[in-house]
Amino acid sequence: MKKKRNFNLIAGGILAGGMLLFILAGVFFLPQDPETMNLELKFAGMSLSHPFGCDNFGRDIFSRVMVGARTTLIVALGTVGIGAGVGTLIGAFTGYFGGWLDEVMMRIIDALFAFPSILLALVVISLLDKGKYQVILALGIAFIPSFARVVRGQFLKCRELDYVKNARIMGCSSLRIIFVHILPNTLNVLVPTVMIGFNNAVLAEAGMSYLGLGVQPPDASLGRMLSEAQTHLFSQPLYAIFPGLAIILLVLGFSLLADGLEAK
Amino acid sequence: MRKRSISMLLVLVWSLALALTGCSGERQGESTDSQITIGIPQDVEDSLDPHEAVAAGTEEVFFNIYEGLVKPDSDGNLNPAIASDYKVSDDMKTYTFTLREGVKFHSGKEVTVEDVVYSIKRCSDENDPVKLVAAFLNIESIETADDKTVIIHLKEPNADFLCDMTTAIIPASNESPSTVSDGTGPYMFVSHAPQESFVMERFEDYWGEPAHIKNVTLKVCANPDSLVMELNGGSIDMMARVTSTQAAQLNDNFNVLEGTMNLVQALYLNNGVEPFNDVRVRQALCYAVDKQYVLDMTADGYGTPIGSSMFPAFGKYYLPELADYYTKDIDKAKELLAEAGYGDGFTFTIKAPSNYTQHVEAAQVIAEALKEIGVTAEIELIEWETWLADVYSGRDFEATVVGLDASTLAASSMLLRFNSDSSKNFINYNNPDFDAAYARAASSTDDAVRTEAFKECERILTETAANVYIQDMAEFVALDKKYAGYEFYPLYVQDFSKLYIVEE
Amino acid sequence: MKYVGKKLLTMLLTLLLVSFLVFLCFTVIPGDPASARLGTEATPEAVEMLREEMGLNRPFFVRYGDWLLSFVRGDFGESYDYEMTVGELLADKIPITLTMSLMSMLLIIVLSIPLGLYTARHEGSWADRGIYALNQVIMAVPAFFAGILITLFFGILLKMFTPGGYVSYRRDFGGFLAYMFFPSLSIALPKIAMTVKLLRSGLISEKKQDYARTAYSRGNHTGGVLYKHVLKNAMLPILTFLGMTLTDMIAGSIVVEQVFSIPGIGRVLLTAISHRDYPVVMAVIVCLAGVVILVNGLVDLLYQWIDPRIRLEAQP
Repeated sequence: MKKKRNFNLIAGGILAGGMLLFILAGVFFLPQDPETMNLELKFAGMSLSHPFGCDNFGRDIFSRVMVGARTTLIVALGTVGIGAGVGTLIGAFTGYFGGWLDEVMMRIIDALFAFPSILLALVVISLLDKGKYQVILALGIAFIPSFARVVRGQFLKCRELDYVKNARIMGCSSLRIIFVHILPNTLNVLVPTVMIGFNNAVLAEAGMSYLGLGVQPPDASLGRMLSEAQTHLFSQPLYAIFPGLAIILLVLGFSLLADGLEAK
Repeated sequence: MRKRSISMLLVLVWSLALALTGCSGERQGESTDSQITIGIPQDVEDSLDPHEAVAAGTEEVFFNIYEGLVKPDSDGNLNPAIASDYKVSDDMKTYTFTLREGVKFHSGKEVTVEDVVYSIKRCSDENDPVKLVAAFLNIESIETADDKTVIIHLKEPNADFLCDMTTAIIPASNESPSTVSDGTGPYMFVSHAPQESFVMERFEDYWGEPAHIKNVTLKVCANPDSLVMELNGGSIDMMARVTSTQAAQLNDNFNVLEGTMNLVQALYLNNGVEPFNDVRVRQALCYAVDKQYVLDMTADGYGTPIGSSMFPAFGKYYLPELADYYTKDIDKAKELLAEAGYGDGFTFTIKAPSNYTQHVEAAQVIAEALKEIGVTAEIELIEWETWLADVYSGRDFEATVVGLDASTLAASSMLLRFNSDSSKNFINYNNPDFDAAYARAASSTDDAVRTEAFKECERILTETAANVYIQDMAEFVALDKKYAGYEFYPLYVQDFSKLYIVEE
Repeated sequence: MKYVGKKLLTMLLTLLLVSFLVFLCFTVIPGDPASARLGTEATPEAVEMLREEMGLNRPFFVRYGDWLLSFVRGDFGESYDYEMTVGELLADKIPITLTMSLMSMLLIIVLSIPLGLYTARHEGSWADRGIYALNQVIMAVPAFFAGILITLFFGILLKMFTPGGYVSYRRDFGGFLAYMFFPSLSIALPKIAMTVKLLRSGLISEKKQDYARTAYSRGNHTGGVLYKHVLKNAMLPILTFLGMTLTDMIAGSIVVEQVFSIPGIGRVLLTAISHRDYPVVMAVIVCLAGVVILVNGLVDLLYQWIDPRIRLEAQP
């Protein structure tokens, strides 16, 4: 039992850490400019200067994966940030106070939950300027309901517990009870949820890119690269492998990490 | 449930009846059950009413079902169709059509002058924007001299009027043309399952040479990314307008035919906004972009570089030399920018329709090329419908990459939109010389004068760098080796009646 | 019963809210059905005329009220794109997507319960670890990419089905079901992985509960305890999960329908959104949302029925 638990944590840590290191390295150093096109290098194979080969515009895939993974990471972190941040607040207040506020908020959350994320994305994208931030916002809003539900459930459970009742009797303010007393106790549930949310955000970014709603070219993101590569899948399978692999490693790393943390 | 079983029975009886009649009236060499499945990129969405069809994807299918008095052929000529003959008066104001003997609608009814008058009048109502054919507003009156002759009087002379006489003729007796299809074309409508398939069958009483293949099924292949798999997997036999990338991935079962798309792909610039209201800025962009480089990058070098709003299929109006008017010259481009006061470059946004991969890719290559002269182009992908509403109707854009095609065989269909007062002038082009040249072409009845005036229009567009013209894109048609006979048209149509099965 | 009634009322309210939000969204996003219909031959005057004719120039609340009234009467309106009522269009398409969802649900249940039981029972074995690793990888593959890989492998390489060779259920029901298998599989795979994982950890933690230990000590063999007592308790979170999965599956079917070229609800929704065919979009979303809300409501009720200790209000 014990041995296996460590394995998840270690393997996940190595994978996620490796990917983070890879992305971080890309911030300071890129072997090639990820946007420079070169006709001679169209679909060039793997070489020392282009370890992953080149894409349909002769751009260096290695550098693009580095930059793309960074974009994907930012999108995923932003999404989870919005989803978890707002979701936790909503969940905490509605769960703790209950009453009509709870009713109203939960109906809105339910409605949002039943709402197709594609339409949501379309609305957000059309209302704001283009860029990766609108993708973050769209996905972030779509992620609020699940976090809100989880946190609300925890608060409902906790608010009847003795230590909360004691705190109330001792005259603690509601805000203090929510943030100082109850919230830390929901972390054991919240942290794995955040991890899973992160993975879902990476996958959702890929799905959005596939439907043409993701980041704008020439910016790279893993999802966008993967869906661009699909056009050339039969003649240039290499093109799809590396962005695909990067997504899988990123998600795998974080989900193993989540498992490891949860089991601890 | 009950309803369905009855209709199933009807289908059975009907197909049995067809099989029986089919056996007796069989032409030589044509098998009764010959069939082809053709992929189409978008559903035939509009109603079955040909006059309400505006989507290009629908019109190209309806080309096989409906016909006008005249019909274009693959060389770009207009041939008599429902009319067997026509006369144009010298002042280009009176058009006289003689109906062909024995042209039948799919319902079996013969085409009469009443049907012709009804159809034309139906498309002349200015309060019905969907059906309206703009050229028909020019009609003063229509009369029928006898039961075979229709005479159309125009208010103003129009040498191109014949081009719009391809407007479909439908029976006046059909009370709901939107749901009941009745045309005179070589194929007749059988069934339509939304987003799924559109089925047609050979019309045996066709007045001209009948179609070779009996059953044509159009299958909606909305996702370009899975198209190659569908072709290679064998679920469709033919697909038009595949890209060179897709064509390169097809297996040995396919012949890939090369033609041209017959459209003008360009970086269209909004001439009404800063900095593109300055001709020097527009010219600078033209000098910065190497057309052939765009072709090499996006289409493996296929396609024809062009330099104005006219493509080669237009023959006598097309000026090939304009393609080389601007050759890549970074210094000159920078000089022009400096003169215009943009020595340090500027930033603008290219709106590109996300569903057209080739335009999106071209936009990326252009943006990359413009970096060389210090101009930053940001790309914004938008849906086609947003493009139509915002860019086209709303004119809210700085630059966009699209391909514009011709709706008829008239040169005006390419050039009219640059007239300063044209409602289709979405790039806000405003040039008095152009307007004058166009007016000369439109009012003249002398073909030589007209042709020269249209050419003048093209030259003005090039010289003033109205847009950064790129190319007439190459079109590839993937056709299973079992079939042959595909013909390219200078218009956006597909002629399925010429397809035949290759004898093994 | 009062609880059920209240639950139903809130469900209806939620649905109303969804419909309002969708309607609001559509007034906000750019692009309008009139210019979408007229295409590049449109002139501004023509677009304006068509807008008037389609009633798009009326105030927002009038249009929404109009829609709501006819919707309540069971009239979904007419599609802008198709010469048919939205009801007819949906009646034709719902069976396709429904079949796909049911098939994947079936696959999930049939495959994940035995796998979950097996891995829980043989915790720590090589098979358990292998399945765990496989699960993790499957969950890390984006849905559309999984679809493509399945098409490549089973379709092109093994020739087990014709890519894009969708057959209408009206014409050939057997062929239809056969074609739907692989799309359903690509929807189901990640969900199977998750369900197995969830079931396994649920079973393992239940196994350590006192009642299970007691059962063991009374001499019940491992299998019996697992099936009779533990499974029932471990099913609770699975039920919630499956309820939530349904939402995911509907969203997932949009992508999978694209990959496998299936003319189902997902594709209708996508084209209707892009063509701004409001009546269709409204109907599809409200129906889908209705299903989601209904299923989640049912799960809540079921939950309560299985374990009445759970406090009514305490439903997260």
